[in-house]
Amino acid sequence: MTTFERLNEIFCEVFDDDTIELKPEMTANDVDGWDSLSYVNLILAIETKFAITFSQKELLTFRNVGDLHKSIEKKLESRK
Amino acid sequence: MFFNSIEYFLFLPAIYLIFYFTPDRFRWIVLLSGSIFFYASLMQPYLLLVLFGVMLATYVFGKLIAARSEEKEKKRLFWIGAGINLAILVGMKYLPFITENLDLLLKAIFGKSIIPISPVIVSIGVSFYVFQAISYLSDVYLEIQESESHFGYFALYISFFPKILQGPIERANSLLPQLKKPYEFNYDNMRSGLLLFTWGLFKKVVIADRLAELVNRVYGNANAYTGLPLIVATYAYAIQIYMDFSGYTDMALGTARLFNINLTDNFNRPYLATSVAEFWRRWHISFSSWLQDYLFKPLQMRMRNWKSWGSVIALLITFFISGLWHGAAWTFVIWGFLHGLYMAVAVLYKPLQKKLYKKLKLNGTKILKLWKIFMTFNLVSFAWIFFRAESLRDASRVITNLFTGLGTQLGSLSVLKQSLSLGLGKFDLAVAAFSLAFMIVLEFTNRENNEHLLRLQKKPIYIRWVVYYFLVMWIALFSATGSQEFVYFRF
Repeated sequence: MTTFERLNEIFCEVFDDDTIELKPEMTANDVDGWDSLSYVNLILAIETKFAITFSQKELLTFRNVGDLHKSIEKKLESRK
Repeated sequence: MFFNSIEYFLFLPAIYLIFYFTPDRFRWIVLLSGSIFFYASLMQPYLLLVLFGVMLATYVFGKLIAARSEEKEKKRLFWIGAGINLAILVGMKYLPFITENLDLLLKAIFGKSIIPISPVIVSIGVSFYVFQAISYLSDVYLEIQESESHFGYFALYISFFPKILQGPIERANSLLPQLKKPYEFNYDNMRSGLLLFTWGLFKKVVIADRLAELVNRVYGNANAYTGLPLIVATYAYAIQIYMDFSGYTDMALGTARLFNINLTDNFNRPYLATSVAEFWRRWHISFSSWLQDYLFKPLQMRMRNWKSWGSVIALLITFFISGLWHGAAWTFVIWGFLHGLYMAVAVLYKPLQKKLYKKLKLNGTKILKLWKIFMTFNLVSFAWIFFRAESLRDASRVITNLFTGLGTQLGSLSVLKQSLSLGLGKFDLAVAAFSLAFMIVLEFTNRENNEHLLRLQKKPIYIRWVVYYFLVMWIALFSATGSQEFVYFRF
């Protein structure tokens, strides 16, 4: 499974919706229930599942799913 | 010089004409000197010094932050720049409040006054442009905004006259590029700008100022009333402050549009919100999104391991600060805290609420939506009591007497009539009711904010001009006597 597919799975779980199909350009407006409160749960789930930690600055500058994905990839890459 | 003054009606055409006949590369000079003249017309020379201090410090630190590559250095510079801005704000606005409360505390401990109490000074506009400056420094630090190298454009970004006194609080990436665009006369913008301005004036001088007379009568003497008059005045205030502030914003947006500049719309029919959280996405939007991006989110992310409780604490802190931003008084602090509390409770109650709605099969029903709108409006109106009351003592008096004697008041027709009109004559009541109905029909039946004005422009000429004339005549004939200053100027 690619990182992007795993990310998609986490989204489905957090937002309790199996029909979510992520695209890099998607933002909070495109996912039902994605508000500032569920965003924390999403970030926590991602950090736990991938065993990574985001910096404060990163968390405040993600504009869309693509940014989030890129940052995860970069962190996984640097760990290898 | 305020938007609803004769001076402004002379100033605006004058600056527009100068702007129009000046070549593009000098136009920023016209707008900047016009903005400074506009701010100077408040006749408080030290305010100009404060404005210049904010401009210069923010400009310099923006450049410094952008020039460094080391994260630690960037962060340090950001905090110094933001700290200078905050220090200016505290010095201008909170010293009397701080020294007064400190004095009370010290008196309680030592039995005598030790520190001098700072005098209250006029700080119109400072909270707005200081917040804008901090948003600029944050965006440069987060690398989502390049630092501006042209001091003139930067100074104009901070001081642009339609928004300097009372916002909207503009982000650099939205306003700066617009200020640099060459100007071309645009008939549609001119027309819709003037119409929006007039619409805002109507909301302010016909509706808000008229309701203010009623509200001031009751809240100015909260002791003398119980029951229905307090309820009427509290709802009237909810409408007054909305008409006042959204009217001001329409006038600011309308003015800016004459120069082909689109400012952020602050309102999106807030009283139709179905939750307090949604209310804040529809009320004073440029301010609430500032809170969300620069205060709530960073706090919430820092406390993310505490899950819902992290969000709850972040909400409470954010709205405590929001209250304080509105004014250095305990009434505002409680008002803000109350909003924080509403939302914090909603966060914790949400899982239960979901189950409840499912069980009662209420999800997606119209009844539920109406109920939510009704509840939200009442929660918000209740909080306005603290916002409007002259003191905490007055606020608690209003709240404890809100339903006192209500039964007898509702039972007797003459008492009922008297408490509903509150001394406002039949004529004033009719004008207020009719204007309000006109406003509600136009604004609240649209999907998008200010769509009613766009739709009007597509109507045939005989409808358009009838409405234009009607609006102007209505303002001319039915402006409330005794023009009031805008509520939000105080903040």
